[in-house]
Amino acid sequence: MEYYVLSRYAYWKYYLLILYYRLAEYPPAIRVWAVFSVISLILLIGIVVGNIARVVRAAADTHAMAHNREKYWDKMKEVAMSVRVWEPLEISALLELPKNFKMHERTHRRYVPMLIEMYRKYGPQMNKINWQRLLQVLKMPIYFEEQVRSRNTRKRIVAFKNVADMDANLKEAVASRYLFTKDRKLQNNARLHAARFGTSYPFKVLLEDPNLVFTDELVVKFHNVLMYRQENGMSMPNFIHWCNRTPLNEELRIFAINEIRLFNRREDCAEMLSMLINSRDERFSCALIKALGAMEYVPAEKEFIRRYLSASYTERQELAEALGAINSGNPEVLIFLQEDFLQTTDYVTRMMLLRVIHGYGEIGLEAYNYLKKESPKEFSIYFEHIECDLIDSRRYA
Amino acid sequence: MPEWLYNGFSIFVVVYSTLVISSYVAFAVLAFFEHKKHYTYHDDDYTIGELKKSPYTPGVSIVAPAYNEEKTVITNVKSLLSLDYPDFEVVIVNDGSKDKTLELLIENFDLVKVPYAYVEKIKTKPFKGLYKTKSDNPSFKRLTVVDKVNGGTKADASNAGVNVVSNKFFICTDVDCVLEKNALYRMIWPTMASTRRVIAVSATMRMSNGCIVEDGKMVETHPPHDMIPLFQDLEYTRSFLIGKTALSRINAMQNVSGGFGMFDREVVIKAGGYDGDSFAEDMDMVARMIRYMCDSGEDYRVVQIPETCCWTEGPPNFKVLNRQRTRWGRGLFQFFTVHRDMLWNRNYRQYGMLTLPYILVFELTAPIIEFMGYFVVLSLLVQWAINWNTIWIAFLGLYIFAQLLTSVIISYDVWVGTSFKKRTDYFWFVLASFLEPFFYHPINVFFSLRGYVKQILGTQMVWGNMTRKGVQSANKQAAPGMSGSTDATTAAASVASVKSAVAEAETEKKADA
Repeated sequence: MEYYVLSRYAYWKYYLLILYYRLAEYPPAIRVWAVFSVISLILLIGIVVGNIARVVRAAADTHAMAHNREKYWDKMKEVAMSVRVWEPLEISALLELPKNFKMHERTHRRYVPMLIEMYRKYGPQMNKINWQRLLQVLKMPIYFEEQVRSRNTRKRIVAFKNVADMDANLKEAVASRYLFTKDRKLQNNARLHAARFGTSYPFKVLLEDPNLVFTDELVVKFHNVLMYRQENGMSMPNFIHWCNRTPLNEELRIFAINEIRLFNRREDCAEMLSMLINSRDERFSCALIKALGAMEYVPAEKEFIRRYLSASYTERQELAEALGAINSGNPEVLIFLQEDFLQTTDYVTRMMLLRVIHGYGEIGLEAYNYLKKESPKEFSIYFEHIECDLIDSRRYA
Repeated sequence: MPEWLYNGFSIFVVVYSTLVISSYVAFAVLAFFEHKKHYTYHDDDYTIGELKKSPYTPGVSIVAPAYNEEKTVITNVKSLLSLDYPDFEVVIVNDGSKDKTLELLIENFDLVKVPYAYVEKIKTKPFKGLYKTKSDNPSFKRLTVVDKVNGGTKADASNAGVNVVSNKFFICTDVDCVLEKNALYRMIWPTMASTRRVIAVSATMRMSNGCIVEDGKMVETHPPHDMIPLFQDLEYTRSFLIGKTALSRINAMQNVSGGFGMFDREVVIKAGGYDGDSFAEDMDMVARMIRYMCDSGEDYRVVQIPETCCWTEGPPNFKVLNRQRTRWGRGLFQFFTVHRDMLWNRNYRQYGMLTLPYILVFELTAPIIEFMGYFVVLSLLVQWAINWNTIWIAFLGLYIFAQLLTSVIISYDVWVGTSFKKRTDYFWFVLASFLEPFFYHPINVFFSLRGYVKQILGTQMVWGNMTRKGVQSANKQAAPGMSGSTDATTAAASVASVKSAVAEAETEKKADA
């Protein structure tokens, strides 16, 4: 009797044929079901093995990161916080790195959380030169370049975020290849990277995109980029020019006005006032009113009063808030606010007016007391509410 | 039974099962793409860092109704106040508690009644007063306590909370839920990242029965080691990580859990708030919000985020499970009678054309079909007419598929990264998944049918008291029971549960001694 040793493929084929012939007598539905079961079983085995592998790899990562932390944290901190400028060779010697220290994705990935944590904790007090040299010695810029060049979108995005998180150095040329990529999220990350570290005109690509969608996420990130530039003494944009860009992007204009307010650019107030006079868009007008009010621009008061009666409730609330913030002591404003308090039917506006009157200096307090006396009885709860120090009336909605 | 009936039923079951399995496969694939997208573009630490620094970060309010929660309310409120977020407020609605819930809150947080200009944007039972702290503690300043007359439902209390919140978005939760420290960052991010208006955000909820909680904060996460909460944990994870995530991808979410979900305040008010008469008030709320958005021609999104943000205590025994599932079953039936006009209605987009038909075919009718299946199998067994050669293949295939789904959710959970720290904990999931088809599933079928029957017969139903054993605290003492109940009967049950928990704790102490 001869014996045949089956190859790997023939072995599987043999068992599948057995299964096939065993099931041949069954109805088609059962045969289909059996095929489905076999596929499920193969997938199940694959997923279980994959899960185990992932768990083992995660455990190895955790262990290695703990080891790195124990070995390098204090030494790295010493370098980063030192007033003296360290030479790269000195840093390398301190960290006991081999002479031919090379970049490996797996090992470098494990340094990243530690470096980010260190930068977050000690960033403002660090010696920036030492920090950059430390990153250089650890070959982090090369690692990030590799990551940004990788085919995996997550790796690229994470690299951009990590560079921002630890203020690492990444060549502009490497990042610039994604400035016009189809993937909008990746594109935004690359553009924000350019805006953060760029020198010539870093906002150009972002602002000149006619399809720019200004989500709240982008607003938050963009503002943080601008904050970073200001803190590091880098050139800042002229926000008022952003409002006049063509094609007009309403969200960008509103963002620009909000930034003027947040960076307290008082020199732009006059131009903002002329924009308000010509503005018909409610959201843009509200942003302008808020900014002018927050920067206490007294010449805007006249325009605020002019707009008030034809404005919507949302705009009225902004106007009242802005008039209160300017607090010029103008009795005309008070009379106006008082009248509206008695006439308005919107309870939020009414509450806001009362709060503004109450906070409008001495003459405001007089007017408030007069209103308290003269108002209908059902309004008394509004007065009690405003007078109570424990409630933050600004948050009433 | 005639043979043609058996044959007809067999064909129907084959077609129905094929559809069910296809839908599961489709959901798993859709969920995979959604998780991949989330994994690719989202980074928790980075997001939190950005939001912390920014003045544009929107405020969030947390609304938590409390009824007879004197045993745990202080710890739980402290837990809510200790969340990490730059701008948030906590609104506790005391729904006419008969115990010392309000007094304890006043005493512990130094509260005083303030003259608040309350405006009833959503109709509720009478408002009695609003309390704010006079303490200088900045964290206490975030707390607002609303006192109102008992409305008999969580919905009424939640509505009172919605009437006083000051932020654009509010999170509706239960006072006994343990929230993740970063939950608010995770919840607000989808509203900021989306180009469309996000009206509600749902996050993954898990069972806290096996976890260790210290001062209302999650210290260690483990799966429950009691079978019923463990089964429910598996069920929740499957539902959130596969079902809801897949539906979220195609903007067809059916529900944002009443235990933890974030809503757009303006849309909730315009949609009329929670319906106190509904047994599935969370599902009903989402349906009405979608109805409002579609009727007014606005674009919207309801989003599911995969990260675990909330830990809640699951039913510890069959009695409580029965009450919960019967109510859910009844709520589902009631939901379809109320919102039947949305079914197959193009005006309601994916919700009308996909979500509701899916719920109707695969959720509402499934218990009925399964029950018929059990009945047929039993009758065949009695007649000894079962084709054993066939049935084992069918059963084996189904069983393998169930295990496949479990392994998929485990891999999704590991992928999402908010899973159990100890990976061996997943063996409990595998165990539950092996046993679930034999015990848990048939029982739930029965409970759901019971709910349908009650709804059809119009039996008066009181809101059941969720008797809780309490999660493990760090010093290993059992925390006493807490409730989300609303009437005198359930209050009595709550007292009983508290007594039993205290007795248990005493027994433990004695045993320790």
